[in-house]
Amino acid sequence: MPELFHRKLERSTIGFVIAIIAAASVGGIVEIAPLFTIDETVEEAPDMRVYTPLELAGRNIYVREGCYACHSQMIRTLRDEVERYGPYSLAVESQYDRPMLWGSKRTGPDLARIGGKYSDFWHVAHLNNPRDVVPESNMPAYRWLGRTALKTEDLPLHLAAQKALGVPYTDEMVENAARDAYGQATPDTDFAAGVSERYGDATEVSAFDGVATQLTEMDALVAYLQVLGRLTDAAYRNTAATEQPADPAN
Amino acid sequence: MLANLTSSERQNALVLAVAVALAGAVMAIAGRADVLGIHGLIVALFGGVVAWLVMASFYAPEPAEDRAASYYDDPIKVGIVLAMAWAVFGMFMGVWVAAQLAWPNLAFDAAWSTFGRLRPTHTTGVIFGFGGNALIATSFHVVQRTSRARLAGQVSPWFVLLGFNLFCVLAVSGYLLGVTQSKEYAEAEWYADIWLVIVWVTYFILYVATIARRKEPHIYVANWYFMAFILVVAILHIVNNLALPVSWGLAKSYTIWPGVQDAMVQWWYGHNAVAFFLTAGFLGMLYYYLPVRAQRPIFSYRLSILSFWGITFFYMWAGSHHLHYTALPHWVQTLGMTFSVMLLVPSWASAGNALLTLNGAWHRVRDDATLRFMMAAAVFYGLSTFEGSFMAIRPVNSLSHYTDWTVGHVHAGALGWVALITFGSLYTLVPSLWKRERMYSAALVELHFWLAIAGTVIYVFAMWNSGIIQGLMWRTYTEEGALAYSFVDSLVAMYPYYIARAFGGLLFLLGALVGCYNIWMTVRAAPAAATRGADAPVVPAAVPGE
Amino acid sequence: MDFSHDTLVAISKSWGLFYMMAFFLGVCAYAFWPRNRTRFDRAKHSILDRDDTPWQR
Repeated sequence: MPELFHRKLERSTIGFVIAIIAAASVGGIVEIAPLFTIDETVEEAPDMRVYTPLELAGRNIYVREGCYACHSQMIRTLRDEVERYGPYSLAVESQYDRPMLWGSKRTGPDLARIGGKYSDFWHVAHLNNPRDVVPESNMPAYRWLGRTALKTEDLPLHLAAQKALGVPYTDEMVENAARDAYGQATPDTDFAAGVSERYGDATEVSAFDGVATQLTEMDALVAYLQVLGRLTDAAYRNTAATEQPADPAN
Repeated sequence: MLANLTSSERQNALVLAVAVALAGAVMAIAGRADVLGIHGLIVALFGGVVAWLVMASFYAPEPAEDRAASYYDDPIKVGIVLAMAWAVFGMFMGVWVAAQLAWPNLAFDAAWSTFGRLRPTHTTGVIFGFGGNALIATSFHVVQRTSRARLAGQVSPWFVLLGFNLFCVLAVSGYLLGVTQSKEYAEAEWYADIWLVIVWVTYFILYVATIARRKEPHIYVANWYFMAFILVVAILHIVNNLALPVSWGLAKSYTIWPGVQDAMVQWWYGHNAVAFFLTAGFLGMLYYYLPVRAQRPIFSYRLSILSFWGITFFYMWAGSHHLHYTALPHWVQTLGMTFSVMLLVPSWASAGNALLTLNGAWHRVRDDATLRFMMAAAVFYGLSTFEGSFMAIRPVNSLSHYTDWTVGHVHAGALGWVALITFGSLYTLVPSLWKRERMYSAALVELHFWLAIAGTVIYVFAMWNSGIIQGLMWRTYTEEGALAYSFVDSLVAMYPYYIARAFGGLLFLLGALVGCYNIWMTVRAAPAAATRGADAPVVPAAVPGE
Repeated sequence: MDFSHDTLVAISKSWGLFYMMAFFLGVCAYAFWPRNRTRFDRAKHSILDRDDTPWQR
C-alpha cells in the first residue's frame, strides 16, 4: 500500500508539491498560528499612546536610513542588558510598531529606551557628525537631515493607513496630521496646542533641531528618538526578575 | 537568442515587454510626486529595452530545427552572466560597507551612500542577485538534464530570468533612494514584492511543467531541492510581505503584522530564506554538479532523501531562535531552539553524503580546483550548520546575539558554502554549456579557489574574535558589581577586526573578478569541444576537467 | 469558532507532535522500502549518462 501511494506521489508532480507544502507548513502553522492570538498574552498598557505624526515621520526616516541594521530596539531579559539600557522590553511596547524594529545587530547601542536620556541638542549634534560628541564612533554623519524639509502633506494618508490596520488613531488625529507635525516642532503656537490636546500633555513639544521656523527631517527623527521607550511606563511597573547569563562573572 | 522563437512567441514576448513598459508608465504617473515615479521610469525603461530587443530581430528567420530535440540553454547562459555581474556588484558593496565600519567617512557625506542604505544593497545583491540568478540558471540546467526534456516554455524562461532581475534592480535602486520596508532580507517595497510573486509563480509553473515532461517515474533528488526552494520561498515571501500601501501613488507601505507578530513572521521568513533560498536551492546544485564533476554517483541516495525531508520539515520551526530572551513567548523560543539543534542531523547527513561521494576520488580533488570548490563548500556547510545549531542554544545565544559572531556565522555559510558551491557549479557548467573542452585557465580557477578560501577564513576568524570579545565585554562586571565597559569601549575594541574583515572580503571579491575574467575568456577564446552544427542537436559535450 | 491562544498552543503541542512522528515514519518507509532500491540506483547513476539531448517521443 505505501508502495503504491509513493509511486502515485512520484508520478504526479503535483502530489510531490503537496507533500512539500505539508512538510513545510506544519512548522509554520505550529509556530505562527498561536501568534495570531498573541494579543491575548500581551500585557495591558492602558496608558500607552500612539506615535504623533511627527514621531511617525521620524520613525519612517529611521526605517528609510536603515538604522535598524546597527541599532536594536529590544532589551533582552538579561541582567547586564537591563543594567546597561533599562528595564527589558515588553511585547506591548511595540504593539503599534509596523514594522517592528527590534533589530538583530548592535554595531551601536540599543535604542529601545534612548528617549529622554540625551538632550535634543545632543542628538542634533550627534546626527550631524557623531564624532563631534563621541570621538570613537563609526556611525555615518546625517548632516542633510537638518537641511531637508519634512514632507508633511502625506501624513494624513500615513495615519489613515495605520488606522486601517488597527492603530487607534481618531479621525481628528488623521485629519490634523500635517498640522500636528508642524505644531510639535513649533512650541507656543496654536498648532502646538492641538498636539497636546490630541496626544496628551506629556507629549514633548519642542523645536527639536533648534530652529522653530522650519520643519526638517532632523526635527522628526529627534522627536522619534526622544519618545523611544516613553510611550508607556509598563516596563517600569514590571517587576519580574531578569535571567542570568550562563556565566556572568566571565 | 530570439532566433529560437517562432513568430507567435516573438509576438507574445513583445506583448509582455510592452505591458511591462506600460505598467511602468502608469507607476511613473501615479507616483510622480514620490520615488515611486522614479521606479516607474525604471520599469518603463526596462520594458522598453526588452521590447526594442524583440523588435530588432522580430522578422529574423524562424527556427527550422525541431526544438524538442535540444535543450534550451540560452536563458541559462544569460543567467550565468547576470549572476557573475551581481556577484561583483554585491561583493563590492559588501567590501564598501565593511570598510565604512572601520572608516566611517567613506560615506562621503551623501545620503545614498550611508551604511544603512548600502547594507541592503549588499545583502540583496549577493543573496538575490548573485544567488538567485545562479539558482535560476542552474535549476533550468539541472531540470532539463535530469528530466531529459526541454524547458516547458520558450518565452517564460526569459520572463522568469529578466523579471527576477527587474525585481533586483527595483530593490537595490530603492534602497539607495530610501525605499525600504526595513524587513531584513525582504526590504523591497510592495510593488516590487507583487512583481516578484508574478515572476515566481511563473517560475514554479515552468519548473513543474518541465518535470512533468520526463519519462522516468522518479524525479531526481536535486529537483526536489529546487522545487522546495521555489515553492517555500513563494509562501514565505507572500506571508512576510503582506502590507498596506499608504496610497497607490506612494512607495511606502505598512506591514499588516504589528510588533511581536511582525518579529515572529519576519524571522520565520528570515531563517527560512536561509533554509530554502541559501540551503535547499544550493543543495540542489550540490546533488547534481558534485557527482557529475567527480564522475561518481552520490554516496547514498537514501540519505539524500532523508535529509531532504528533514531539512524541509525542521527548518520551518527554527526561526524563533533569532528572538531568544526577547518579548516573544518563552515556549516559541524553546521550540525554535530544539528544532535548530535537531536540524544538525539532516544538515550533517547532506554534508557527509557529499564528502563520502568524493571518497575514492581524493586525487581528483587534489588536482581539480573546481571539484575542490565543491568539497570545501560541503565542509563549510557542515561547519556553519554546526555553528548555527550551537548558536541557537539559548545561553550561547545570550552571548552571540547582536554581535559580529552572527555576522561571521552568516558569512561562513554565505561565502564558504553558498558562494563556493556556486563557483564550483559554474566552473562545471560553463564549459559544457558553451561546448568548450574546459575552462580557459585551470590556473585561474586555482587562484580563485585560494583567494576565496583565504578571504573566507580571514573574514570568519575576524568576526569570531570581534563577536566574542564584544559579547564578553558587554557582560563583564567589575568586582564592585558594576558593568566594566561602556558600549564605546567595546566599539573601540572592534576596529582592528573590522579592518581585517574588510580585507578578507576584498580577497573574496578579487577571486570573483578572476572568475568573471576566466568565464569570459572561456566563452570567447577557449578551444571548442566540438563544432556546433547550425540546426542539428548538439553533440555530447566532453566531460569537463577530464 | 473560539480559537483562544491557549487552545491553539495546546493543539500545536499535541497534534504537531503526532504530525511530526507520522511524517518521520512515512519518509523512512519511503526511503527504505525494498522495492524502491532499484529506482534509486537508477536515478543515482542516471545523471552520469553522457547524453546531451532530450528523450524523443
